[in-house]
Amino acid sequence: MSPRLVEKGVLNPLADKEVGEIDLNPFPDDFERVALVDNTKPGANVILATLREALGNRIFIEVKKAAGAAATLNQLEKAASAELAILSLADCGSCTSWVVLDAIRLEEMGIPTISIVSNRFAPFARELASTHGLDDLRLLEVEHPIAGLSVNEVEEKTLKIIPALKYILQIP
Amino acid sequence: MTKKDQKMDFPENSCGCLLDDILNAEFYDTGTQGERILIPPDVEKISHEFYLRHLTDGLPIIPPTRERVCKFLEYSIQEGEDVIAVLPPRQGRATVEKIAINAVMAGCLPSFMPVVEQTIRALGEEKFNLAGINATTHPVAICTIINGPVSLKLGIGRGVGCLGPGNLASATMGRAIRLCMINIAGAVPGVGDHATHGSPAKYSYTFAEAEEESPWEPLHVERGFDKEDSTVTVLGLEAPHNVNDHRSTNAEDLLNTVVHTASTAGCNNSHVPGEILVLLSPEHATALGKGGWTKKDVKNYLHQNMVVPVKLGDRGGRRLDEQWVEGDEVLITRSPEDVVLAVAGGPGRHTMIAPGFGSGSQSVTISLNQNNPS
Repeated sequence: MSPRLVEKGVLNPLADKEVGEIDLNPFPDDFERVALVDNTKPGANVILATLREALGNRIFIEVKKAAGAAATLNQLEKAASAELAILSLADCGSCTSWVVLDAIRLEEMGIPTISIVSNRFAPFARELASTHGLDDLRLLEVEHPIAGLSVNEVEEKTLKIIPALKYILQIP
Repeated sequence: MTKKDQKMDFPENSCGCLLDDILNAEFYDTGTQGERILIPPDVEKISHEFYLRHLTDGLPIIPPTRERVCKFLEYSIQEGEDVIAVLPPRQGRATVEKIAINAVMAGCLPSFMPVVEQTIRALGEEKFNLAGINATTHPVAICTIINGPVSLKLGIGRGVGCLGPGNLASATMGRAIRLCMINIAGAVPGVGDHATHGSPAKYSYTFAEAEEESPWEPLHVERGFDKEDSTVTVLGLEAPHNVNDHRSTNAEDLLNTVVHTASTAGCNNSHVPGEILVLLSPEHATALGKGGWTKKDVKNYLHQNMVVPVKLGDRGGRRLDEQWVEGDEVLITRSPEDVVLAVAGGPGRHTMIAPGFGSGSQSVTISLNQNNPS
């Protein structure tokens, strides 16, 4: 039998993932204290104000943190003093990273979260959450874009996600 | 892959592509399927296959055969399976072997491996915020500055055209970092890297400081290392912008040209102040040194004078951080330390400035010595 010419194999440059394992926290049946985590992206505060109105007469804890970077421990602890946290806004790459990662840090602290994500960055947010072991991290999608819009336009887009918010929280 | 599997008889520091490498390598295989002659993989075919799998930066690659990767592993003091860092957003485990594979693909020489490996270690530090840097819509790239004797030993670009093409070490090490970001960190454009336009600086952004041309202590000495230490500094930076000043005859005028070029509203620093690289050409640095200005003087002057009007500063992605507002202006650096001052380049009266990611990332300098077996 004549020898065959065979190309040498090549090694795979793709790394294995360090997949996390975290359990999602259930929402309480009833709740009074809600943390509103504003990453100061344009329109984030308008979205949170609109959601706040829809949540009725409760205690709201306002937390401001930098977009594109991790929340400080103090900011996280302040948010964790509530029974649940809503984080806004993931409408770019780095802010999506840190809305999702901060939400995961809060879930690790035992606080159930909802993250507001623009529909253009929702696939990335889901992939990121999944990498950290939270396939079902709660994301509410608003229509992209938010930046550059008037207050009225942002409110209008936010109103569309309120039924979904109420359904997730199981409130009237 | 462990060290004991790696012994190959290649010429010192070749990439494994030379004819001698191929002839010296084991190329007969007499397995159950009969006698086979193993030949190197087809470069064009492998490049195209890798390209279609989104494993490249778009340019052809050197196929990462086991032999080539083994050569690189010999330059690491760690085992192939050792994890150097876990890189976001994909949370990829940056093992020594995966780093080596990507360095081979980039066209590095094996002796570059310790620098690439330590660069990845630096990028894994929390304060660098790779999760933000890789995923952002902002065109921030990873810049690496090499200081100390290793920069001369490896021939890293420090003179004419040090930020451009033509230098093997700079071009391939910077490219290796980018390929590691793509294949380990998952910074694939549109998947884990969301930069609106991307940046040419994302292909490669590596150079050495021309320490012998500087009137001051080099960057790594300023950061607490000995002059004889070798270090890598990683910074999240935009692509560099030129400062052309041929006519200033005193330090203040020259620095004012730098100030005017750097004080722009569209950069991240305008609303969330942070680091900025000021890369002086040797002629500019010499002029400042001759004028009696210390490095500290220059950094202080630039910090105090690089400002933008508040009205223009508060237009960025993040709300203007009011603690940096002074009157109707906002500082673009938080302190003189945020002015990262280095000297490199060839003849000519040009300086380069590159704003950073703002307050969202902090540069990291680490030693290369601990990982260099030579």
